[in-house]
Amino acid sequence: MDIHVNINGQAVAWRANPGENLLDVLRREGFASVKRGCNQGDCGACTILVDGTAQRACLLLAGQAEGRSLVTVEALGTPAEPHVLQQAVVEHGAVQCGFCTPGMLLSAKALLDENPSPTYADVCAALDGNLCRCTGYKKIIEAVLDASGRLRK
Amino acid sequence: MIENAKVCLYPKNPGEVVRILEQEGRRALILAGGTTASQVRDPGVTTLVDITRMAPPTDALTHEDGEWFLGCNLRIQQLAAHAGLKQVFCGMLCDAALSVGSRPIRNAVTLGGNAVSVFRWSDPPVALLAMDASFDLVGPERERTLTADRFYSRHPRRILKPAEILKRIRVGVPSGRHGGAFFKFARTAFDLAVVDVAVCLWFDSDICSRARVAIGATRNVPWLSTRAARMLVGKRLEGKSIRAAARAAREETKTADDIRTGREYREQMVEVIVRRTIERAGDNALGV
Repeated sequence: MDIHVNINGQAVAWRANPGENLLDVLRREGFASVKRGCNQGDCGACTILVDGTAQRACLLLAGQAEGRSLVTVEALGTPAEPHVLQQAVVEHGAVQCGFCTPGMLLSAKALLDENPSPTYADVCAALDGNLCRCTGYKKIIEAVLDASGRLRK
Repeated sequence: MIENAKVCLYPKNPGEVVRILEQEGRRALILAGGTTASQVRDPGVTTLVDITRMAPPTDALTHEDGEWFLGCNLRIQQLAAHAGLKQVFCGMLCDAALSVGSRPIRNAVTLGGNAVSVFRWSDPPVALLAMDASFDLVGPERERTLTADRFYSRHPRRILKPAEILKRIRVGVPSGRHGGAFFKFARTAFDLAVVDVAVCLWFDSDICSRARVAIGATRNVPWLSTRAARMLVGKRLEGKSIRAAARAAREETKTADDIRTGREYREQMVEVIVRRTIERAGDNALGV
């Protein structure tokens, strides 16, 4: 069936099995920033924004996306003009292999959209479903706090 | 992936859901949050039924005449963060909701889906059972309401009749001196529970007049330890009665080994966690 979504601000219709995982559909449609990690909702590598809230693409079926607004990290910024969160991640050295980074960024964006002045604990809570196996979390959390300060200015 | 799914339907009200389920029978699979449905591999399913677009909105959380009405499509994160519900039984349902996975999971999982698809380790159903919640169901013939005791007397999927769905859950606002507490014991911050305990206590002066001790993660559905409750009712809440109640809960526990822990350890932890949860509920009630 045709699945109608707004992805990164563009209205599109995807031909998909409604019982397919949304993660599969997104990757097939070229949104390679959405990573397949555990495929069971634990690791956070496939985090996207669904109507503004961070959710797992691997735990959603394509049929559930009908009429929804989806955001992937492709919409966050460009290499020439990175989003403040992306810039902060670069400056804080909060990336090693980068596999978890798109999911981290989107969880962080959902947090800052809801709470522009998060505390350290708020950031930890917002990112608690995103696993990083390389850098640890200190620099990532610092980057999100730094970005929140820059966005408030 | 549900490989043989051909269509996804978006019914606009509970009656329409019931009609679809009547027509499609076992070929239909209900989607709410989708976290359980996305793991289904049933080749017999051809029709998906997304029930999250129903009107009037079924994700509402309202308060009227001494009761909270929790819509079936309420997201667990909404429940966890609700200021009004934090005042009911000392926020034990919010605590149970906050115990569910990580935030992106809570943003997706619905209360109704969690209550009906209950797994051994599901957290909110344990609190709902302790709080003596009511479950409003809609079916082809009529609407009916079940107590939490009845709803969780077996797996809810065996309690629901064909084409019957959960519409909302009601939680009464307790009066008089009372307290509640929820305690999840798990290996890591968002691992599934080894033991869940929820306790509600009512007091007449400083004598416990009613107690509900609900235990999760030990059987397929949460259950009430009636023996533990008997050890508390009619007594002051003090070390001796609390320890006796915790021991009684352990004796009443029927559980088994699983991937997380062994039977014996889980039984021991039931005693420990029941004791701690009763103490916490008592402190909440008596203002300690």
